[in-house]
Amino acid sequence: MFTADIENRGLVLDPRTKLAVMLTLVVFALGGTGSGIIAVRIGTVVISILPTVLLLTAKQWKKAFLSGLIYAGIKTAEILLIPTLTGAALSVLGLCCMIFVRLMPSLIMGAYMLSSTTVSEFIAAMHRMHIPQQITIPLSVMFRFFPTVLEEFAAINTAMKMRDIRIGGKHAGRFIEYRLVPLMVCSVNIGSELSAAALTRGLGVSVKRTNICKIGFRLQDTAVLFLAGSLYVLWILGMIGVIT
Amino acid sequence: MNEFAAELHDVSFRYGNSDEGALHHLNLQIRKGECVLLCGASGCGKTTVTRMLNGLIPHYYEGALEGEISVLGRNLRETAVEDLAGAVGSVFQNPRSQFFCVDTTAEIAFGCENMGLPVKEIQKRIRKAVTDMHIEKLQNRSIFNLSGGEKQKIACAGVSAMQPDLIVLDEPVSNLDLDAIDELRDIIAAWKANGKTIVTAEHRLGWLNGLCDRVLLMEDGRIAKEYTGTAFFSLPDAQLNAMGIRSVMQKKIAPEKKTGLFQIAECSSTDVIELDNFIYSYGKETALHSDRLEIPKGAVIAVVGHNGAGKSTLTKCLCGLQKKFRGTVIMDGKRLKPKDMRRCSYMVMQDVNHQLFAETVLEEVMLGADDSAENQALALLEKMQLLAYKDRHPMALSGGQKQRAAIASALLAGKKLLVFDEPTSGLDFRSMECTAELLRTLGRDMTVLIVTHDPELIERCCTHILHIENGRI
Repeated sequence: MFTADIENRGLVLDPRTKLAVMLTLVVFALGGTGSGIIAVRIGTVVISILPTVLLLTAKQWKKAFLSGLIYAGIKTAEILLIPTLTGAALSVLGLCCMIFVRLMPSLIMGAYMLSSTTVSEFIAAMHRMHIPQQITIPLSVMFRFFPTVLEEFAAINTAMKMRDIRIGGKHAGRFIEYRLVPLMVCSVNIGSELSAAALTRGLGVSVKRTNICKIGFRLQDTAVLFLAGSLYVLWILGMIGVIT
Repeated sequence: MNEFAAELHDVSFRYGNSDEGALHHLNLQIRKGECVLLCGASGCGKTTVTRMLNGLIPHYYEGALEGEISVLGRNLRETAVEDLAGAVGSVFQNPRSQFFCVDTTAEIAFGCENMGLPVKEIQKRIRKAVTDMHIEKLQNRSIFNLSGGEKQKIACAGVSAMQPDLIVLDEPVSNLDLDAIDELRDIIAAWKANGKTIVTAEHRLGWLNGLCDRVLLMEDGRIAKEYTGTAFFSLPDAQLNAMGIRSVMQKKIAPEKKTGLFQIAECSSTDVIELDNFIYSYGKETALHSDRLEIPKGAVIAVVGHNGAGKSTLTKCLCGLQKKFRGTVIMDGKRLKPKDMRRCSYMVMQDVNHQLFAETVLEEVMLGADDSAENQALALLEKMQLLAYKDRHPMALSGGQKQRAAIASALLAGKKLLVFDEPTSGLDFRSMECTAELLRTLGRDMTVLIVTHDPELIERCCTHILHIENGRI
């Protein structure tokens, strides 16, 4: 997370745009707001595909392809099959729709957001939104910490393989404990070193922080924001009865 | 105007979680523009001194502090660490844990941004730091794609951009190869020429020859001896080693331009592990290629070469962690699959914390074995001088003891091939000698590969050198 590969990340969106898309996805795809209005339903499908498109621009082919395929498949099934099904089959398909059509787009957007935003962009965006440093700095420290913990976890996994400790092996019951104890020890060490390094470089000084990172709304941001905004407009129009 | 960059007057310190004091009545004065080296055995207090200079003690690492510390005319008790940031710059040992951003340019800017400098000024400073250090190529890169040496250069650039008067380095080169060390040396020389005050704590000393004005030898939290730079670097090795200090000579370890396996000491093995047509590639790029390699069984082999030469690819393949290699590996007349290799080999990682899982040392060693092997395990622990600690938690051991616990677990599991990744980085002379002694006496059955940059370790325990460059053996 926040491990943005800045050498290769395709379409750059402002962090605030990503946040707006995320919010819209939660309201319409996950929350199912306005699903009684046909125009909103179509708009929801469009915005649900947006995270997949963003993944494509970031050249994450595999993830994009897989998520696009699953979404398209389940959504088609929902439209064609749900009216004809009854009983257990309906429950199973209903559950699949719940997970893959409603929840998945938000999850993919979240993953894309974290994997395409750098720490400095995040701090800059929070600053522009007038969120106080007391909240931004602990958050950024936390996010910076995740990729390091993942690295540690990978190293521990490698060591376990060499010791032949596997699920189903002799020590299966303590599989999790064996993994967590070294992970915690390493994380605590790194966390404390990381904070020490950040302090010696003046993180948290009382003066107002500057940021050389340029963020701002560009053409692509306008397009994405227009798409997200139009959903809300359609919903309101539907609510007051202008469209059905 | 005060002529001292830092003054420590009758300073004693004890860490909050320890019973013993780390420093005892220490007096130290560092003049402006001076380059001072702190050396001494592990635990002598040199890191503690560096932490006092950048204010991490007493504000971050808590404990009982007596005496007066003033840095650049400020009383440290009344100055917060972050307020010292613009005046004191720090470079730490571990590149993994001193980066805050994930891209290099933002990282260089990070300190200046915190100080609230105007954007234009920061960009000017970044440009200057980048040109001064010749790291134009490293701009706008992802931190995760850099080598250890490159990361350390970015850390230095970040410090440089803040334009501090005092720069504190805590074992900055312990993970670097010789070329990277040379480049770091140039950076420090440039700082010195610009009149910065530099304090560095180090185990590896050779690279500082000619840079340091004054060398302070520390012992048990006190300054035991003081030398001028020239006097110190002309001391004979024997005298330094007796004081627990590494050699100051910069020795070449690998034969120039020649790759392959070279014998450097007697080795009575006849059997070999054969690697034929061994190729490993990441995507289209060949990372390692060897037509034929015969590793003598029972030998202790130093694997040397530059960062990125293919050393870790080779060792990972040999441990069965990279499965997609082409070619054959034959041991004891049998052709081994990656799975078999994983069963008969073991890697002791640089951060040994990653591979200690159990609740007690005895349980740790017994993890891979039957319960009937307990007597054997106890015998092994005795050999490794760990018997007294058998009921302790492995994480409560010292660094060297953890390393030995990991070795013991590999021995009991019947591993035939042991791989060490930089086992002596950051070790002082005595610990390095202990490790060397242990590796030398592991026995004839055990073949040992050591990935290392440490010429003193190679001299003490290795029978062969395997030189890899650009993926060729």
